[in-house]
Amino acid sequence: MRIFGFHLMPYPHVPDEALGDTSWVTISNALYDPELGHALYGRYLDEFELYDRTGFDGISVNEHHQTIYGQIPSPNVMAALLVQRVKAKIALLGNAIALREHPLRVAEEVALLDVVSGGRIICGFVRGIGAEYHSFSIDPTSSRERFFEAHDLIIKAWTEPGPWEWYGKHYKLRYVNPWPQPYQQPHPPIWSPSQGSNETVEWAASNRYTYLHTYSDIPTVRRVFGEFRAACERNGYEASREQLGWAMPIFVADSDEEARRIAAPQLETLFNRLIRMPRDVFFPAGYTTLDGMARVMAGKSGLGTSVQRFDEMAEKGYFIVGSADTVRQRLEALHAEMGFGTLMGSFQFGYLGHEDFASSVQLFADKVLPALRPLGEPLASTAAA
Amino acid sequence: MSDGHEVHHVSVRGTGVRILRQGSGEPLVFLHGAGDRGEWLRVLAGLAADWAVCRPDHPGFNQSDDDERIDSVHDLAFFYLDLLDALELPRVTLVGASLGGWLAAEIAVLDPVRVAALVLIDAAGLRVADAPGPDVFTLNPVQLAELLFHDQALRSAAIEQAAGLDQSPEELRNYLRNRIATSHLAWNPYFHDPKLAERLHRVTAPTVVVWGSEDRLLPVAHAQRWQELIEDARIELIAGAGHLPHIEQPERVVEIVRSVRREELLA
Repeated sequence: MRIFGFHLMPYPHVPDEALGDTSWVTISNALYDPELGHALYGRYLDEFELYDRTGFDGISVNEHHQTIYGQIPSPNVMAALLVQRVKAKIALLGNAIALREHPLRVAEEVALLDVVSGGRIICGFVRGIGAEYHSFSIDPTSSRERFFEAHDLIIKAWTEPGPWEWYGKHYKLRYVNPWPQPYQQPHPPIWSPSQGSNETVEWAASNRYTYLHTYSDIPTVRRVFGEFRAACERNGYEASREQLGWAMPIFVADSDEEARRIAAPQLETLFNRLIRMPRDVFFPAGYTTLDGMARVMAGKSGLGTSVQRFDEMAEKGYFIVGSADTVRQRLEALHAEMGFGTLMGSFQFGYLGHEDFASSVQLFADKVLPALRPLGEPLASTAAA
Repeated sequence: MSDGHEVHHVSVRGTGVRILRQGSGEPLVFLHGAGDRGEWLRVLAGLAADWAVCRPDHPGFNQSDDDERIDSVHDLAFFYLDLLDALELPRVTLVGASLGGWLAAEIAVLDPVRVAALVLIDAAGLRVADAPGPDVFTLNPVQLAELLFHDQALRSAAIEQAAGLDQSPEELRNYLRNRIATSHLAWNPYFHDPKLAERLHRVTAPTVVVWGSEDRLLPVAHAQRWQELIEDARIELIAGAGHLPHIEQPERVVEIVRSVRREELLA
């Protein structure tokens, strides 16, 4: 199993009473203190280095906008800050290409990172979450079209020598000919982080990409992994273990009780405070299919729109919290059942302090990671995964 | 047939459009708003006493097909020119409410001689910098219903209907489909076309801007802006009505549309 460390870089300095019904889009940036921000980025960059120093296979950055949830507006900029500080792989999970005005800029930036790093870049593509269509005033009903067209354009820009023309529905370019070109050939591995929509699962499977399921309960992950395997079979191949990825918060302490005491309030902060927003902001019209929207509207509750308690979420398996033995056994059992070969651990969540983060990462690296790494068959080679 | 109106289905360049019709005489086309559920409104029955009223569902809304060629109200206006050709209506009175008012203005700019008279009811389409109104795309159905009506009884009924949406799969799907179509047309720029203001000088038809005095979605300042931009347009403020005066006070709106016709005949 390959193991990555993820970090959202949240902004913890907004007092509870200043948070209204949302921590996204309209939460005033008058609450942002750049001096505190300076110290925070310094600390968070060190925390990424800790993943690298303690033997993780890779680190992972992403992008979010106009929110205290995460302070990385561009995964490429954050990766540029890290690329010469860490030796591990860097997963950009992902570039929200449907939100970018110009996909060729993503092609250029990712290629640059790949060349500088000597081929340590993994490239994730996402649509961005619904709230971000409010943040950028980008029509959510065109999101899926823009995503697929931008993806096709970027992959072609990396694989077919230019210059050539591109006249798609959303992007019209007389000269496509980006320099530099990726170090890895034909291009960096592509990952597809998702909450498991049918469309994304099918798309990732048909392209032989790594499917990374994010922040869900175990029954959902079990179902979606099954759907992904079936989609791979429909596409004429068997999913490799490493093509199945799972992203979840993880916390390790000396005992189960200690782990719970420290992690519970921070996980409740993550799921209730940092992902808080009105339903129509979270799911703008047309961001998902009509059927998907009808399910959201009928569901009435869920992440972001209703209060989640630690015990309930722990039981559903949204995260793994405990002593090193507990966390190891739990991951071994989940691996034995579901066979995923890529694990993305968010060891930073909520407003977890640096000392707690560092000790959790160190315990995991010393006592859990060595047992997980040999799990699974030898990595199968798939072209793009 | 129901309530005396007829239901027609026509195909315009491959897109099926449902049209409700009633009455005889000069043609009047009513262009509906974003939240209109496709019912035969009282105001339409009132207008049908004097006109041959034609009330289509826009592509993407209610019982008309989607049309992937339409990405803006400007595109929709071109579609309507084709629709009017298909219906063999060379000259029409256009009455448009909210999103439909914006559409009516775009049509009147594209083909001014086709429009006999123009009635804009609490019309979207312009940006008024100091009177932006709320962002309806962040509101849930109940919050939206609260803002739409001034009349307490109508508001309560709308809130009740909105709160019960998830109990009726059919109504929920229709609401969501209309909202998707609206988002596609009006997400960015938010409910307006920055080019429109520069083009409204082309409108030649007698124009009345009808506005609910208590409109909480598009404040009355928008009515004043329309009046500034369309030559000789006049404003009819409807006291005690919100964003949908044609639903809150249909008789009053019918009376105003009749008065425009008198002006048109005198012109």
